[in-house]
Amino acid sequence: MRGYVAKRLLIALVTLVGMSMVIFSLMRLAPGNIVDVIFESAGYVDQADKRLLERELGVDRPIPVQYARWIGELLQGDLGKSYRYDMRAWTIIKPRLPVTLELAGLALLFSIVLGVPAGVVSAARQNRPIDYVLRVLSLAGLSMPSFWLGMVIILLFVRSLGWMPSVTYVSPFEDLRANLWQFVVPALAVGYRSSALIMRITRSAMLEVMREDYIRTARAKGVWTRLIMRRHALRNAMLPVVTVIGLEFAFLIGGLVVTEQVFNINGIGKLFVDATARGDFNLIQGLVLLIATIFVLVNLVVDLLYGWLDPRIRLR
Amino acid sequence: MAIVAATPSVQAETLPKRANAFVQFVKVQPLGVVAFFIILLYVVFALGARWIAPFDPEAIDFAAMLSRPNAEHWFGTDQYGRDVFSRIVYGARTALAVGILSAVSGCTLGALVGAASGYFGGRIDNFIQRIVDIMLSFPIIVLAMVVVAVLGKGNIGGVDTNLIAAIALPIVPKMARVARASTLSIVAMPFIDAARAAGFSHKRIILRHILPNIIAPYLIMVTAFMAQAILLEASLSFLGLGVTEPTPAWGLMLSGTSADFYQTAPWMIVFPGLAITLAVFAFNLFGDSLRDWLDPKLKG
Amino acid sequence: MPLRRSVRLAPLALLLVIAVSLPVPAQTPKSGGVLRTHPLSAPPSLSPHEESTIATVQPASACYNNLIYFDPAKKQEGEGTIIPELAERWSWQDGHRNLVFLLRKNVKWHDGKPFTSQDVKYTFDAVRGAPDAAAKLRVNPRKLWYDNVEHIETPDPHTVVFRLKRPQPSLLLMLASGYSPVYPAHVPLADLKTKCVGTGPFKLKEYRPGEFVELERNPDYFVKGRPYLDGVKWVIVKDRSTQIAALQAGQLDVAGSGWNKANWETAKSGKPDLVTIEASSNVNVNVLVNFKKPPMTDPRVRQAVNLALDRKAYQAGPALGAATFGGAMLPRPAGVWGLPEAEVAKLPGMGDAAKQKTQAKKLLADAGFGASNPLKLTVSTRAIAIYVDPASWMVDQLRQIGVDAVLEQIETGVWHPKMTRLDFQVALNLTGIGIDDPDANFFENFKCGSQRNFSGYCSEDIDRLMVQQSQTLDRAARLKLVNEIDRRLQHEGARPVLGWGKQFYAHWPYVKAFPLHDNSIYNTSRYQDVWLDK
Repeated sequence: MRGYVAKRLLIALVTLVGMSMVIFSLMRLAPGNIVDVIFESAGYVDQADKRLLERELGVDRPIPVQYARWIGELLQGDLGKSYRYDMRAWTIIKPRLPVTLELAGLALLFSIVLGVPAGVVSAARQNRPIDYVLRVLSLAGLSMPSFWLGMVIILLFVRSLGWMPSVTYVSPFEDLRANLWQFVVPALAVGYRSSALIMRITRSAMLEVMREDYIRTARAKGVWTRLIMRRHALRNAMLPVVTVIGLEFAFLIGGLVVTEQVFNINGIGKLFVDATARGDFNLIQGLVLLIATIFVLVNLVVDLLYGWLDPRIRLR
Repeated sequence: MAIVAATPSVQAETLPKRANAFVQFVKVQPLGVVAFFIILLYVVFALGARWIAPFDPEAIDFAAMLSRPNAEHWFGTDQYGRDVFSRIVYGARTALAVGILSAVSGCTLGALVGAASGYFGGRIDNFIQRIVDIMLSFPIIVLAMVVVAVLGKGNIGGVDTNLIAAIALPIVPKMARVARASTLSIVAMPFIDAARAAGFSHKRIILRHILPNIIAPYLIMVTAFMAQAILLEASLSFLGLGVTEPTPAWGLMLSGTSADFYQTAPWMIVFPGLAITLAVFAFNLFGDSLRDWLDPKLKG
Repeated sequence: MPLRRSVRLAPLALLLVIAVSLPVPAQTPKSGGVLRTHPLSAPPSLSPHEESTIATVQPASACYNNLIYFDPAKKQEGEGTIIPELAERWSWQDGHRNLVFLLRKNVKWHDGKPFTSQDVKYTFDAVRGAPDAAAKLRVNPRKLWYDNVEHIETPDPHTVVFRLKRPQPSLLLMLASGYSPVYPAHVPLADLKTKCVGTGPFKLKEYRPGEFVELERNPDYFVKGRPYLDGVKWVIVKDRSTQIAALQAGQLDVAGSGWNKANWETAKSGKPDLVTIEASSNVNVNVLVNFKKPPMTDPRVRQAVNLALDRKAYQAGPALGAATFGGAMLPRPAGVWGLPEAEVAKLPGMGDAAKQKTQAKKLLADAGFGASNPLKLTVSTRAIAIYVDPASWMVDQLRQIGVDAVLEQIETGVWHPKMTRLDFQVALNLTGIGIDDPDANFFENFKCGSQRNFSGYCSEDIDRLMVQQSQTLDRAARLKLVNEIDRRLQHEGARPVLGWGKQFYAHWPYVKAFPLHDNSIYNTSRYQDVWLDK
């Protein structure tokens, strides 16, 4: 186990360093000058002013020097500065993190609550009508663009329930009811799609386990089917499901980026889209690294969890 | 020499013979057949757009703007008075073109990378796998958006090559993983050692023995990634980072000024969204059926 | 015998007539409440001197004061509607060469420090880029406005004198614009981008980029009893349909920045209680023509393009019936410097569409283009809806005269650099003019070498006329000169105007005294007289 943990940590670290290099060089390769965004809202570009600015910001130094400086700042907890807003990136990101995390959390909850039972039922009644129905439903969920689903939901809800996305964020600590009212619908929109993936994985994992000899033996012995399901099949099927939750996260983030746009939720996803549209490369850099780091951390946790759950690894 | 000439027939991952294969497929995977015909319908739309679409998809007609679906405009019109149905038909062209080009280029590159990684093993394998890990660490849409931000909009013969690169890129590491797994199982086979002992070049071994055996997973992945490519293109166009006006594209029809009007003119977004969903659904279903039929072990 | 019925009713009728015709006593404004509204788009910063977008002027206006301002209550701005703010009295001296301001006493900045004439000198020395200025603006879009200022003197803490190189009556109006607030000399310019320290009726409470700007009442404001509101919240809402829905649901009190007529009607049709107001806006949709790059170097091609754009079709199409037509200056009656209506009707594109398109085709043929050799033109525009709509229409019109036109959408960050480099053939552009004044318009957009002269247009003659009109004191004579410049700009196709836009706002009935001006969008967001009847 210890060797496993050490290896996982090392891989995570190497991945992070590699990512930082990739992101940094990508931003520098972009067309247009990184400084242009500062002039954009002023409506003109003055070459002399621009050169002064470049020197002030240190953008005219050689790339390795700039990279070293960036890494130095990162290690001190400084994610850089948004050139467009002229503010520290972290100041802009900080109030938005809890918003996205809450949305992601709720979506993940919905996806598990919808997906796992559906997968179990589907596996238990394989190739019966209910299986086909659930599979079609879940595939439909995976095939829909999540923003379209969001728009359709808004259309239906606004027309029938008079619900509309709120334009101002209310923190759950201030008013839990208003907060949930605002988040439940978008979380459902994102969660439905993720639940499809979880459903499929759960189903195939269950099917695999159910084919195992010891299950068939128990069945032959006449042990009550449901007991078998719960005790043996489900527990062993959970292993790949837990792994998938890590993969799930990637899927979720993708859904969040567009869903935040549709539902006007001011989270990290919306910030990322705005920054990309405006060419605020410095901010994009910090954001992408942040998102990717969260990613790597989640995957690390999942890997460690997997290692602990799988007795073959734990007892090594 | 007998060993080299023998086609390995151990795995079930080879493509069965043509004629009775199709009949078998229809029997065993009825859903797959349905999916196939839906895809065919879209291909017909794409190829025959000029004859099928009743209106020019870019013809602006402010007098008819935002009209409900009626006898003249089956799916209604958008905020410029353009016929929604015609735009959907032409949109099939964009979707399939972008989808095929990205899926094929991404899968091909991924297959080559994965096969090389699995075949050469050792340090090369480790290095490539680390890069693959890094790429897989990014959520797909983030990766695509970063590529778009960096490359901007490209144009070679009317096709936005940078968009295709952006969509193909997230596919490469996934395909590489699958190709590597397949390759590893083949490399372990004794006849490969024999071939190497006989002095055949790496290139010949890879081309003659490795690649033909990844064709099955390759085809499955291509269909699966077509679905992902269409979805990703729709998302990018929705965010304003993909195809741009006035090109008819399904994702584009859901974004921009459409966002201003869809609550009063819902047909503007309902139909393009259905078009996307149905296309992606068909490709996913077909891919699933293909996989179930060719190789039941390749699940998940 | 009882009085005839009609005679008995007569006194009653008379009473009713009197009651109805008596002026309704103005309601007494109530204090309290927070006004929630939305800006045009997310403000890039809170510093008006460093931006050219109304998105910044909107929230920042509540926080600052000018020396003088346009009266919010008077719909058409002009020299006659200027009211005192930080300056109590002012006068021109020495034949409009010196402008003297006597400043208000006992005014404090939001952080408690006293306001003096030093702050005025500091601000305008920085804006005009004076060599000995105490501070330098990192980005300075309106430097040209103050080109004519020679020196700013502060003989005592409550007097400021602007010494000009030549007479310029327009300087007074430029100082009254929302783009000319007074900055504090004791706060670094860089700080003012993310927080505002002003003397205005509201103080900054919280600013979250991309989300909202929240302002709260300044209890030490120098106008006693104002502001009526407890605060103003500018919520950033990206989509128009969400803006409309938010207003209808009561999440916003006022909405409409950037709306077109269709949005306005959608808002009202959902909730007939809403009060809808409209005004002209000093924003025009125009075509940038690259004078320095073929094929637009050929005057025949330029004229052909201008003729092909049928203004009536523009009105029916992208403008949704809400455009007004004119030259480079805002047309009458909303603007006072516009060309006479009879002349406007004869401008290229205004006449019979079929005839003008035929004429255009002929001009192209003369220039060597035709069916066998079509003119290939790329129409560039910004990748946002209000630009793309008219640009798409323009491409369609050009195709109708046989031009092989394509649309090129340019990302926001790259737009201005591209335009400044003259890296385009024709472009569809929107220009908002700060105040309805020739000095604020001509120098910036048409002077040889001006940074925002995106066409590369240059005429020494016109430059001379511009300076001449700028120092003409007699109003009628000046109007003649301005019209002459406008006329020539239109005939040379320096920046053909497709149409001038309108503002469409809607608010709930309990919002009172909401200001809207007919000839500018930039000078009404102080909100110190707005109150809520709740």
